Amino acid sequence: MRPVMIWRVARKEILSTLRDTRAIVSNLLIPLVLMPVVMLGMPLLLGGLFEREATNITPIGVVGMSNLPAEFVAVLEAQNVELVPVDDGVTAVQNGDVDVVIGVTEPLAAALAGNGSGTISIYSKQGNMKSELDASKVQQAVAIFQQQVVALRLVDAGLDPSVLQPLQVQNVDASTAAERSSGQFSWLIPFFIAIWTLTGGQMTAVDATAGEKERGTLEVLLVAPVRRTEVVVGKFLATLTFGLSAALMAIVGFLIGGALLSAVFLPRLGDQGAEIVSMMGGGLNVNLLSIVVLVISALLLAALVAAVLIGISLFARSFKEAQSYIAPLSFVFIIPVVLLQFKDLIGLGNEAYLIPVFNVLLLMDDVVRGVVDPGRLALVWGSMLVLILLLLGFAHRNFQREEVIFRS
Amino acid sequence: MSALIDVRNLSKSFGKVKAVDDVSFSVAAGEVYGLLGPNGAGKTTTLRVLATLLKPDSGGATVAGHDVLKAPEAVRASIGVVNGGMGLYDRLTGREILYYFGRLYDLEEQQIERRIAELDDLLDLRDTLTRRAGGFSTGMAQKIVIARAVLHDPPVIFFDEATSGLDVVARRAVVDFVRDYPSKGRAVVYSTHVMSEVEELCDRASIIYRGRKIAEDSVDELKRSNGSNSIEEAFFRLVSRVDMGHEEVR
Repeated sequence: MRPVMIWRVARKEILSTLRDTRAIVSNLLIPLVLMPVVMLGMPLLLGGLFEREATNITPIGVVGMSNLPAEFVAVLEAQNVELVPVDDGVTAVQNGDVDVVIGVTEPLAAALAGNGSGTISIYSKQGNMKSELDASKVQQAVAIFQQQVVALRLVDAGLDPSVLQPLQVQNVDASTAAERSSGQFSWLIPFFIAIWTLTGGQMTAVDATAGEKERGTLEVLLVAPVRRTEVVVGKFLATLTFGLSAALMAIVGFLIGGALLSAVFLPRLGDQGAEIVSMMGGGLNVNLLSIVVLVISALLLAALVAAVLIGISLFARSFKEAQSYIAPLSFVFIIPVVLLQFKDLIGLGNEAYLIPVFNVLLLMDDVVRGVVDPGRLALVWGSMLVLILLLLGFAHRNFQREEVIFRS
Repeated sequence: MSALIDVRNLSKSFGKVKAVDDVSFSVAAGEVYGLLGPNGAGKTTTLRVLATLLKPDSGGATVAGHDVLKAPEAVRASIGVVNGGMGLYDRLTGREILYYFGRLYDLEEQQIERRIAELDDLLDLRDTLTRRAGGFSTGMAQKIVIARAVLHDPPVIFFDEATSGLDVVARRAVVDFVRDYPSKGRAVVYSTHVMSEVEELCDRASIIYRGRKIAEDSVDELKRSNGSNSIEEAFFRLVSRVDMGHEEVR
């Protein structure tokens, strides 16, 4: 392998991608803009909706208004509810007149007298977010009213209301400070690197391999006295360049989004805010060594994704075929993230540090918790390097095979 | 000096199909050699073996003194290939494409510039050098394809259906280039199914049919020995003889 030849191949692919406006927009601009928009947009939108729901006066339908005791009506109205008489609970909800209806068929005050019991029906559309939110207001009112009735009955019977709670339970968090601030979202960064390397490197990888086949430029390249290994490695490096730049942009976008988020929301939340920051992995004591570990791991992960891209798209005949192989890959990266959520249940040994992608997530988790084991670090880096070389070997082998080069 | 191209008993199959069946020929320096045959006769497969893109099942070949199996890289450095369906990099200009390939052939910058100037005279490249290839007509694209193939001044050039898909003017430009390109010390193999191009360009030609070489001679002798006025007539006489023989064997 001659480095200068690798560089010549890589430079041409980089130049070609840089000239592709569409690729540049989807590579560098979209991750930079998308991350803050998603991070800020969702909480702003949802926060606004929930806030409005909580403060607005909600109309609630009632069948049998006269059967409701005045004390219950007072509790309901304290929940920002306006009671509207309706004829039938099911039809009123189905017609959309109101989202929730309370039905009382007998006078409740009479039913409850003398330690009796009554029935109350709540009509709502289960699975409809607005209806369920309104129904929860009614349920809360019912619970408060229920407590009032019970408290009165206990007093009547000469008992203290505390007899219903003979045990007081105290929950004490026994985790260490490092574990508490373990950054439950430490998987986010490697996840972004994997996803955005995939997205950002895709154009270059497909264009440089399947695209060359489709345009009829591959044959003349293979006739030139450049070695196949140099071609594969050059195209791989160009893919990695764009994959990494997209991942970097996404991380920058993520940091901008995080900064805006904390500026907009954290002051409102007070103590809760600090808790969220530590959950997100902020406020961690990350020293120089762990930063080096993180950066090398991130580079290896991006290289792995780029090698997968080159291997797959070299095998494909055309742009379309390559893209249809690559599309499901982003789904594949979600599996280790889901798996990571259950790592305490599964009880992972050293073998887990050999599972590609998942091992990087585990390593990142170890780094932020400050429990990196050198043996495991070697397992992760070593297994990734082997895998990258295997994938590039697969790409190189495909380049030698007649039926792959002339598949059309 | 011995032949620049020497093909010995070359055979190549794809599955059960014998694409090339025991083909031998040699081409001397200064010669334009025609491979004439219908599509699918085995011309492209033969040239791909000579260009080291395919490995033969049996037989062998040397190109510019290098064995295609033992020294593929030396072979590749000595050849230029022009195909009919060859494309270019859409987002690069003609000059950038020539530079890219010049650098892959390890040419110095001044060498590349000098060759581009020479080829500009021969091929009339003009604004194909400064414009991006995505906007080229097929004729413009084929000029850059040819310039790219001969940029490193190779002793051996393969033309494989180089005029297919071109309009009359562009086709003329390709044929003129092959005719006028200095042939001293150089061997050209010109593969086509267009009889008139062989008649105009080739010193000698072989007729390839169903993977086999069924005739080889100078163009004049091919016509004369088959009692034909044109190479096309000679071609059909030869082919029908093979088809009849084919029937008898059955």
